Amino acid sequence: MKSKSFYSTQGSIWKSTLLTFPMILLILLFVAGGRPDLSTPEKSIAFLVTFVFLTALFFLILYTGKTDRYRAAGFITLALFFALTFIVNLIRERGAMTFNQENMLACEIPFCHIVTTMIIIPALITKSIIFPGSIIGGFAAIASMLVIVIGVSLALGRGFCSWGCFYGGWDDGTSRIMRKPKIKKINPVFRWISFAVLLIVALISAVALNPVYCDWLCPFKTVTEFEKITSFTVLMKTVVFVSLFAALVIILPVLTGKRIQCTTLCPMGALMALTNKINAFDVRINKNVCNNCENCVKACPTLSLSKEDMAAGRPSITCMKCGKCIDTCTKHAILYHIKGTPVDRNFSLARNLFLYPAYLLLVIFLGGPMQTGIILFMNLIKTGHLIN
Amino acid sequence: MNYSAGFVLGLSTGVVCLAYCGPVIVPYLMGEGNTIYKNAGSVSLFLTGRLMAYIMVGLLAGIVGKTLLQPSSLKTVLMGILYMLLSVLLIIYGFHRFREICLGRSHLPVKKSYARRWPFIVPLAGGFATGLNICPPFLLAITGAMETGDIARSAWFFIMFFLGTAIYFIPLPFIGFFRKQAALRIIGKFAAILAGIIYLYKGIIMII
Repeated sequence: MKSKSFYSTQGSIWKSTLLTFPMILLILLFVAGGRPDLSTPEKSIAFLVTFVFLTALFFLILYTGKTDRYRAAGFITLALFFALTFIVNLIRERGAMTFNQENMLACEIPFCHIVTTMIIIPALITKSIIFPGSIIGGFAAIASMLVIVIGVSLALGRGFCSWGCFYGGWDDGTSRIMRKPKIKKINPVFRWISFAVLLIVALISAVALNPVYCDWLCPFKTVTEFEKITSFTVLMKTVVFVSLFAALVIILPVLTGKRIQCTTLCPMGALMALTNKINAFDVRINKNVCNNCENCVKACPTLSLSKEDMAAGRPSITCMKCGKCIDTCTKHAILYHIKGTPVDRNFSLARNLFLYPAYLLLVIFLGGPMQTGIILFMNLIKTGHLIN
Repeated sequence: MNYSAGFVLGLSTGVVCLAYCGPVIVPYLMGEGNTIYKNAGSVSLFLTGRLMAYIMVGLLAGIVGKTLLQPSSLKTVLMGILYMLLSVLLIIYGFHRFREICLGRSHLPVKKSYARRWPFIVPLAGGFATGLNICPPFLLAITGAMETGDIARSAWFFIMFFLGTAIYFIPLPFIGFFRKQAALRIIGKFAAILAGIIYLYKGIIMII
């Protein structure tokens, strides 16, 4: 079998174009609501750039047979544009990235998916949501985020962490900065830390009736919003989350080439990992083809592959389905797979069926922030100010 | 510390109990080869043994707390220091591989003749022995119970601690659950480190 045309779409412009066409329609639907807003030159340019970017990435995934390379481009772009547009929106609305007691009392804090891990037990016990956000309506309402989390869990499992999470692109990006990582040997047991974090934060939040991870630990407050420093305790919290951002999102990913924050600290990742068991897609190793070179073990950014996992023919439950191991394997021994089907057959179909929902998730989350971000940059060029 | 804190302490450290002292009951269940229904009965007896041990320790901790700690003017500072020491122990415990002094670990302290005559005594005694597992989470629970300064409340604290840890034993009748024991052990260790950090913070706050 020729390596160049392992997948049915690989190297074939016609097949790749044909399979990209449904995604073009979906991009039009989700990015522009089916009717692009071309009322101003800025909006037209923003839409066109976003549309071309998203379409080109999907086409390249199909045409080249490389998943992670182009997924990462979209995923990192998502993290950067999300942070930019979120911060600009906060400054427009509140005048600062910080929030205070008044904002909390008015339930104005946007709900992020990670909070889900901390509200389940208190919701069962107290029948209330321990988060100062809006249940329905408004930006990032709790109900809408919960629907997304449940839907994505069923469709992709922990694939969310590599295709839809608007934070994951940060350490995905920093982990790619150095071509050869300084720290090469990392014990795969560290992949279990996030489960301990999930256990502890879920329990402590239930007792304290306070989302402790958001309050104390979340490193991504550095690039979104955080509490205004009014006391020594808040200062301590600020030191903790900024330090965690520096260590887990920047320094360690750069040194190790791994997504350290996603692998070790994110409780949502641990919860999503459990849902890997109940959705149709997984990643499997064709042991008949594998030559045990262990390049996939070295490449896996989430420590989800070890020698034991290779022997078992599948990555650990913590796999984020990013496709990096698949791209790395020169023997095409690692594949996207539909549970209940043979590993060595229909691999092109399995890959394509996985790519549609996974990429659509990226489109849904990236479309809006990217268009807004491009408009902001054009304003910056025209007026010299990012925010009017 | 209140009763819910005992429950949460049990929940957060119960993985460790399951991963280390669970093997005492698991070989018994596997050796007996009973149905899930009968296994559930054995696990219930095992947990009853643990509960008895916990109530006993809870009462003793309450007596110590009431007679020695409560009258002291330095109670808060003493408790703070105790929390800090134990949380450091919990963190060290999380990082290092050493065997706990689990009384039921190596063998069940019941002669075979008694076991044949009263089959219920094996899981019951095993539960009692493992209930006296001198591991850092257990010591931390003793500290929490002593802090209550009351014998009855101390016993209640341990009952809640028992309930927290007992949740992890519910899947035991479905023995296949233990295939992932190695991962559970690691998660338990990491959870112990995180719990240690939280209690270290609590100890520091008590002293400040």
